Amino acid sequence: MNTVLKRGFIWLIAAGLILPFLIVAGVSINANSNISFPPTELSLRWYTILFTESDWLIPIRNSLMIAVVAAFLSVSIALAANYVLWRLKSGFGKFVFALGIGPFMLPPIIIAMGASVFWAEIGMYGRVEATIISHGVFFVTLPLVIISRGFAALSDDVVEASRTMGATPWQTFKKVIFPLVLPYAITGYALVAIISVNEYLISYMVSGFAVETLPIRIFNNVRYGYTPVVASAAMAFALFTIGVLLVLSMITDLLKLLGGSRD
Amino acid sequence: MRHFKPAHLIGMYPLGMMCLFFLGPLAFMIVVSFYERDPLGFYNVAFVWDNYAKFFSSFYYTISMRSIWSSALGAVLVVLLAFPAMFIITDMVRRWQLFWIILLLSLMCLSEVILGFAWLILLSESSGIPKFLGWVGLWDDPRSLSPSFAAMLIGFITLGFSLVALMFYPQMAQRDRSIEEAARTLGTSPARVFIKVVLPNYRTAIIGAVVTMFVYFLGVFVMPTMLGRPQDWNMTVIITDKAVGDANMPLGAALSVIMLLFTLVIIGALMFGTRKERQS
Repeated sequence: MNTVLKRGFIWLIAAGLILPFLIVAGVSINANSNISFPPTELSLRWYTILFTESDWLIPIRNSLMIAVVAAFLSVSIALAANYVLWRLKSGFGKFVFALGIGPFMLPPIIIAMGASVFWAEIGMYGRVEATIISHGVFFVTLPLVIISRGFAALSDDVVEASRTMGATPWQTFKKVIFPLVLPYAITGYALVAIISVNEYLISYMVSGFAVETLPIRIFNNVRYGYTPVVASAAMAFALFTIGVLLVLSMITDLLKLLGGSRD
Repeated sequence: MRHFKPAHLIGMYPLGMMCLFFLGPLAFMIVVSFYERDPLGFYNVAFVWDNYAKFFSSFYYTISMRSIWSSALGAVLVVLLAFPAMFIITDMVRRWQLFWIILLLSLMCLSEVILGFAWLILLSESSGIPKFLGWVGLWDDPRSLSPSFAAMLIGFITLGFSLVALMFYPQMAQRDRSIEEAARTLGTSPARVFIKVVLPNYRTAIIGAVVTMFVYFLGVFVMPTMLGRPQDWNMTVIITDKAVGDANMPLGAALSVIMLLFTLVIIGALMFGTRKERQS
């Protein structure tokens, strides 16, 4: 492709992806009570409301709590599934791994609908535990794929050396395998946590309005007449997401973890 | 039990969790799809085909066709944009690649609700593109561009772009550039190299990405409700409406089961096609 054409195209894409955030950022610092852009008078009043009023604080707390526990659950499942696949290299390991890929292959509504019926049937509809487990299980695909890169990069020699020196399988896992796959597990954890914080459909179908998360709160506000607090909430979570990813890029080799270079 | 190893025991944890909380809910959904609706509660235990029979009414048929059309169009458009973009990005220096990866990851992780809301403002009469076009004199009577089918498609593209781009990333970043360089040295134009050398190498990846996005867009809820008109709403909106709005879980479950079967057929066809291609 011609260099000018290439640059034009990539700038257009960048604009399309970044522009919505700039507009939301502008609306969130506009003192005007009507949603409008560009801002006429600057103010942080919508952020103050977001972080002081319980209407918003409770959904924020719910979202963060669900994300922290669900991501832990997800990574533990992904780690165990990858370990089994790596250790056994058999049909059983492959089956467990394939099951973990499953949720990503289906439209989100099917997962959400199934979860809704399931939790209603066992009497846990509307409980926060239901959302946590559903998020933990349904987002497992991401850490599963990322951690599998870590296991693929494990050299057999290192493990063999550890065993020859008399280490038990548990010691080998704790001292050799786990430290090597840890950066992949951290990346998987961070991604599940931020996806969980931002997820709407499953949370809504599993808990309805009983456990209001931030996306549910934002969606309801947008649908039934909204104030600029919605923009400040959207912006706060966008910044949170970008912040976590920036920290992640500083402590890990993000490009390598996403498969950008050979392990 | 002769071949039973500790790893099998560890494997019971992910296996149990996935069976109980992933396959279990799908199985429940299938069972409930045969139940009867209880106007006073959720449902009564029964075995009826009524919920499935309703799918064949013209209302659900029209919505199904509409869902397939919007999802397919969205999937093709998003891959058409993401593929060349990622091809250019993977040739950038490491610093810019990192910038793009963080941007794409941020988008991938961001809520559909936030993205939809952002586009809602951007397309609105009072703050976004229409206001700007009116201000520069390109539009005499600026009006809101949403809700509309185009606005919904823009929402789909924003939602899927990062996913598709990140799917292409490993293969593209690690590609053997020597073939492209050789073709260029022999005097082939960059556009021709892209079409004749690059594209054929990614045939399977492109088809996979289109199918993945198609299935993903079938199940999207927020973008159609926020940016689309009621006549643009897809099956997901109707399922949610029936199951939660009308408290008709059996009908919602039956419609989801039909979508599940449709998805499995598509995935099966993709796997069969890929295997055949590998064999030939």
